[in-house]
Amino acid sequence: MRKCCFLWNRGNNGCIICGKILAVLLGVCMVLTGCQGAGEEEKKNSIRIGISLYRGDDIFINNIRNELEEKAKEYEREKGIKVTLDIQDAKGSQNTQNNQVDRFISLGCDVLCVNPVDRMDASVIIDKAMNAEVPVVFFNRQPVEEDMNRWDQLYYVGLDAKETAVNQGKMVVDLYREKPSAVDLNDDGVVSYVLLEGESSHQDSLIRTEWSIRTLKDGGVPIEKITGGIANWERSQASALMEQWLGAYPDKIELVVSNNDDMALGAVDALERAGITGVNVVGIDGTTPGIEAVESDRLLGTVSANKETYANAILELAASRAMGEELPREYPLVDGTYYWAPQEILIRDLGE
Amino acid sequence: MIGKRGKILAALYMIFLVILFLMCSTDLIIREPENEIYQVAVIIEAAGDDNYGNFRKGMDQAAVECNADVRFITLYEELHAGQQIDLIHREQQDGADALIVAPVDEKVMAAVSGKQGNAPIVLLGTGGADEKADGMIVVDYRQMGERLAEEMKKRIPADCPVFILADEHEKDMATRSFLEGAESVLEEGGFRFWRVRPDGEEGYREILEAQPGGKAAILAGSPEALTGAADILEKDIVQPGCVQGLFGRGNTPAILDDLDGGVVTGICVTDEFSRGYFSVRRAIEELERSGTGEPLVMDAYYIEKKDLREPKYEKMLFPME
Repeated sequence: MRKCCFLWNRGNNGCIICGKILAVLLGVCMVLTGCQGAGEEEKKNSIRIGISLYRGDDIFINNIRNELEEKAKEYEREKGIKVTLDIQDAKGSQNTQNNQVDRFISLGCDVLCVNPVDRMDASVIIDKAMNAEVPVVFFNRQPVEEDMNRWDQLYYVGLDAKETAVNQGKMVVDLYREKPSAVDLNDDGVVSYVLLEGESSHQDSLIRTEWSIRTLKDGGVPIEKITGGIANWERSQASALMEQWLGAYPDKIELVVSNNDDMALGAVDALERAGITGVNVVGIDGTTPGIEAVESDRLLGTVSANKETYANAILELAASRAMGEELPREYPLVDGTYYWAPQEILIRDLGE
Repeated sequence: MIGKRGKILAALYMIFLVILFLMCSTDLIIREPENEIYQVAVIIEAAGDDNYGNFRKGMDQAAVECNADVRFITLYEELHAGQQIDLIHREQQDGADALIVAPVDEKVMAAVSGKQGNAPIVLLGTGGADEKADGMIVVDYRQMGERLAEEMKKRIPADCPVFILADEHEKDMATRSFLEGAESVLEEGGFRFWRVRPDGEEGYREILEAQPGGKAAILAGSPEALTGAADILEKDIVQPGCVQGLFGRGNTPAILDDLDGGVVTGICVTDEFSRGYFSVRRAIEELERSGTGEPLVMDAYYIEKKDLREPKYEKMLFPME
């Protein structure tokens, strides 16, 4: 007599039978458990992408949104894969955006594209995405590196803020070198400027300001700052600030350096209301109204993101993750995470 | 030594453990309670959602309230009936529980009426007699056109020629009905009117400045035509006073800006937020078979600049989400 498993049995046969029962039961368990995943390996013929925008009324973001919708249609037609975009506006609230991410995950989105409200607070979104194993493509507002390093399914598409700012400064430097009086309007040997900044803690805003001004100085433009202010990327706020400055410093402002096109256009609005002409205003982003303003000589110039490439990079990255395919080679990632979209200088016709 | 009874108990215990394991690790035995989420696809007649801003807000509001997952689908090309029919079939095959369709034309209408899937279809109708679907949200565009023309009659002299701006939207059902309605009233009123397709700024200048009296009114058939005309008139390319008034339909932010800025004289609108909201509600009602089946007819309103800040219209034109 000997022990057999935890059952006593009278012989080897009993032990074998007991073992068989166990094996069958275990097999049943495994089969039933495995049933849950059956069918998941099938090739997908549709993908669903959840997109959360930090603020839908931001012109640049709106331009990117339109491009994304166009690119999704192109992708659908080219590849025959249905693309559903769920686009939500977080209206500047991180809390709202977090809830949107929850909803995207519960709706079964294959991938998320997030334009974070607070780039310092992306960890909540990352936690949710990691738990649900849903990759995230961040864009336009870069989360901190520490957060981006937490998972290999996090990506970022944006513009190199330093390159943008250097290009903005270069526009004015080139014009000054070619024709100093076009920038130094009163020929006093000093270019007096005002500065319109985006947000106080926004990385892009800080870098754009620093490198734009540094490029002007390094390029030999004798600049002198009159004043500056934060207009939160908004046209109306910039317009109000500019109006105030025009009253406080009459006939002094020769150049307006703005962190984006919307604020630059706000400054133009104030200048036009005051009936002042000749002041050079430079922006960044190349939004549709910004480009129109350059074409109509209301802005000196803007640094334009190639929005088509920008949106395509977001969509292709997201689609490749959703389909479980290789990352798109046309959009090489720096450190396997970052894609910097190309940009170009758009300057008004200086032939006159 | 364990007896036969002990062995049976042990075996039962083992089976019990296995069942417990299955209950914990799979949903084959005990399923978690699921809230049913209705899949609703909205397929519009356009390639962009410019005219559907407030509609989408209403739609989203209803989606939250009704636990619906609403997908808003635009065409690849503007007013392409074939594409719209393909998309309707695609969504039916992909398991949409209900569809909301703004049909491009009668061809789509026929496809919708003789629906091939099980999903109920709510039609965003234009007031045509042959419109039939499980649920109907109707804007009577013919009546809207008549209403606008009646208002125009009060504001322009009887001898003022009226240029009716036509564009590629002329073939969509809404624009067609709207223009038919407006023209019938203008005709009855003895007005002289022409359908025109001015080509750019020069085209507008040629048409407007060629008038003997030097004054004419413009009626735009579609929101797109109205925005285009407003953009051109804003540039002051025609002699001041040449245009007696610019009228049309639609409530996109651009049109409302132009109305506020005085470029557009008057517009006819519907409550688009409610249209979006009720279309989703109606789709859910059809799914739950709790609807009345009666078409919901939306009212049309005539609005001028002075009306924009009236609470009733402000709430309708600039709805909060």
